[in-house]
Amino acid sequence: MKRWPKTAIRHRCYGNVDARFAFLLLCLLLPVPLLLVAGQEHGSTPSASPSGPPGKFVDITARSGINFQYQASHTSKKYLPETMGAGVALFDYDNDGRLDIFLVNGAPLAAPTPKGTIPQKMGRQYWNRLYHQKTDGTFEDVTERAGLQGTGYGMGVAVGDYDNDGYEDLYITAYGGNKLYHNNGNGTFSDVTQRAGVGGTGWSTSAAWVDLDGDGFLDLVVLRYLEWDFDDIWCGEHKEGYRAYCHPDFFKPVSPLVYHNNGDGTFTEVAAKLGLARPGKGLGLAIADYDRDGHIDLFVANDSMVEFLYHNKGNGTFEEVGLPSEVAVDIDGRTYAGMGVDFADYDNDGWPDIVVTDLANQRYALYRNNGDGSFTYASTTTGISKMTLAHSGWGIRFLDYDNDGWKDLLIAQGHDLDTVELTHPNLRYREPMLLARNTGRGFVDVSAESGTIFRKPWVARGMAIGDLDNDGRVDAVVNTNEGPAYVLHNETATENHWILVKLVGHQSNRDGIGAEVKAVTASGAQFATVTTASSYLSASDKRVHFGLGRNEVVQQIQVRWPSGIVQTFKDVRANQILQIDEPSGSPRW
Amino acid sequence: MLVSFLVACVCAIASSAQTSGDLALGLSEFSKGNFSSAAALFARAEVAAPGTTDALLYESKAHIHLEQFTAAEGALRRYLLAHATSADALYLLGYVLHREGKATESLETYTKAAQHRTPAGDDLKIVGLNYVLLNDYPDAIKWLEKAVEAEPKNKEAWYFLGRAYYTKSNLPEARKAFLKVLELDPRDAKAENNLGLILESEALPDAAMDAYRKAIQWQEQSVRPSEQPYLNLGSLLMEQLRLDDAIPLLQKAVALAPRDAICRLKLGTANLRQGKLTDAQRDLEKAVQLAPDDPAAHYQLGKLYKEMKALDRAKAEFDRTAEIQSRAASSKPQ
Repeated sequence: MKRWPKTAIRHRCYGNVDARFAFLLLCLLLPVPLLLVAGQEHGSTPSASPSGPPGKFVDITARSGINFQYQASHTSKKYLPETMGAGVALFDYDNDGRLDIFLVNGAPLAAPTPKGTIPQKMGRQYWNRLYHQKTDGTFEDVTERAGLQGTGYGMGVAVGDYDNDGYEDLYITAYGGNKLYHNNGNGTFSDVTQRAGVGGTGWSTSAAWVDLDGDGFLDLVVLRYLEWDFDDIWCGEHKEGYRAYCHPDFFKPVSPLVYHNNGDGTFTEVAAKLGLARPGKGLGLAIADYDRDGHIDLFVANDSMVEFLYHNKGNGTFEEVGLPSEVAVDIDGRTYAGMGVDFADYDNDGWPDIVVTDLANQRYALYRNNGDGSFTYASTTTGISKMTLAHSGWGIRFLDYDNDGWKDLLIAQGHDLDTVELTHPNLRYREPMLLARNTGRGFVDVSAESGTIFRKPWVARGMAIGDLDNDGRVDAVVNTNEGPAYVLHNETATENHWILVKLVGHQSNRDGIGAEVKAVTASGAQFATVTTASSYLSASDKRVHFGLGRNEVVQQIQVRWPSGIVQTFKDVRANQILQIDEPSGSPRW
Repeated sequence: MLVSFLVACVCAIASSAQTSGDLALGLSEFSKGNFSSAAALFARAEVAAPGTTDALLYESKAHIHLEQFTAAEGALRRYLLAHATSADALYLLGYVLHREGKATESLETYTKAAQHRTPAGDDLKIVGLNYVLLNDYPDAIKWLEKAVEAEPKNKEAWYFLGRAYYTKSNLPEARKAFLKVLELDPRDAKAENNLGLILESEALPDAAMDAYRKAIQWQEQSVRPSEQPYLNLGSLLMEQLRLDDAIPLLQKAVALAPRDAICRLKLGTANLRQGKLTDAQRDLEKAVQLAPDDPAAHYQLGKLYKEMKALDRAKAEFDRTAEIQSRAASSKPQ
């Protein structure tokens, strides 16, 4: 097992002769009047100490121009898709430097719906929506122009430039078949599902773009939830108002779909060939090289069965090692309802850790990477257990909301059972979001002091994060079940510094997905993996964000690309969006 | 339940006119609690005068005392050959079949019995418990509700109703039922322990621990204290990383219920976390032996072997965990 390479750096590109291979663009902050007006108050206490300030997230949905209502189409039959919600993506589809928002929507369901039905969108209220961010920070609905209305009962969204043409493409999962939309680069998308061969069957959930075999093209991993159909199964008490959504144990697990990118716009399904076909009840998917062997690994959050950690053997195949690595169950050996997931280094020791959301009374699972291929269940010792005992979580991301150099946690919450309060009066179907501050020694629930949004009960499901206004503070967008989408602007008062790193691959995939970025300051080192996946059904800003505390300079930024190339940059100034191009003599696109 | 029933039994026997010979001797032994000799005497009385006395009925009652349910069922079935409409015998057979785990047959027998006499609260309770055995909780709740309606002071019926609601995750109704038990018996440790479980399910661990502590205190003088409040309190303390406090409680739970796999598993897990590997190995291997299909026991044992660097054995336990979990993932029939 290799640690972070200390030698064999093939290119040093910051201010040296190899600069022709690496294009370092210092992007000026883009002024976004709406978001700046929205209340930031710099100048208060710096937050580098463990007892730093709470966050401040402000709901700016109303003035942002986002007006989205997720249609779950609840019925008296309690069909399971009704409660699962949908995802959201933050990505820059037109390369104007500003994140745009894509929201996945449902479709109408009848009671009863005949077995075998594949629901179809009927009317504008069911459309997926693409919102383009304008120069003033507000958004405009460009769905029709983009051709992204969608067709079925949508679930998740994955973002990646699968053909390395410089424009982000979209993969939308659904119950009954998925869609791949190629970004034409002119504000429109084309449905290329059939030609690409990635339609799939069954009930797909989270998906991730990741180059599994290192050929420079993003492959596609698509989780599926259950073997499920529109059967009329009564679960819960046989009393008026007590019918409930069925437990996943009522249904069989199902294999994921893994599509190898052939590099010519077509894909080949290879789950079994790669050792990734183990049947699961997959809802959340995240990537990181947990053992630092230079090969990207996968974590699958399964609902009410063992979680999967797929170790990349480096020969193009994977082995599932969740149990021996001690990330498959909780501390007592019990399974839980794994839903959302993130896979990032929260304790800044250089090893990616894992966090998984689940249902109330189960406690969100935090696994600290021991650096020897195993993990330690750390929910209890870090305060996560106590803080999450009564909560049910879905979308989750590590993010450094106050730029103090420690990755905090933002979590979208709400129970899956709309009847839960009848049977468990202390639990809630609608729950506020949760913000947990990483003090460097553990996590502290700072939700109560971090803005009114943390007091508003939502049935939150998908959540994506990204710096919407490029001010160095990470924002979030949340999709709620049978409710609106919310744009949460991070207005945390802090003088801490930051850097956003945008990678452009030239030998590796264009997005740089799977690359590892290390930022070293006088306060220590931080690590991140470039990904658009993680959370629940959602895709986040691919740019890597580091909070830098009081450090105005990053002593070193090191990038390990999926191609194996390592680049190192010295003395990079803070508070900028840094674009790093991978060196290449002959770009592929 | 059985106690009240057998008191009634003895009274009935004492007032019987058939008190001569072996039958009389049997009754005498029965009243002294010598159930084995009583059963033999009743059997002999039946041989002496087949089908003409209630000897077989009494014999079955003696067997019930001895928890010899197969023998009790045999005696009752023979008795019913000559007394097909005996409500006493049919209700008793329904109970015996329940104790034998023959829930469906028990329910059929109760249905026959009800044609001859209106069921009492205890009978309705057993009907409800048959549905528990059949994993039919809606019907279990229906009949347990009828039991407490027929007999509002039937503490056990309230307790089982609470358990049924708890199993169905209906915590408000479960709480009501256990509070009713406590109204009838203010120091009922079982009910208090179950209130602790409810509080735990409501994510109120501190209140739950208070309830478990009360239950432990209340059952201190009991002849047969339950391991459950020790197990529950110990488990909660473990979750709070208070292993030094948890381990003595879990040891007590194991001492009270040495064949309880969960108690062994919890103690073994606590010892593993404390780094007491030898103790952990003893407890976890025992837990696996007691519950070979419990994935959590195999998982903890796998972790222990891994800690002990016995990697092949660890792998075998993790593989077994995966195999059981895989089966469990789609275990509920549609």
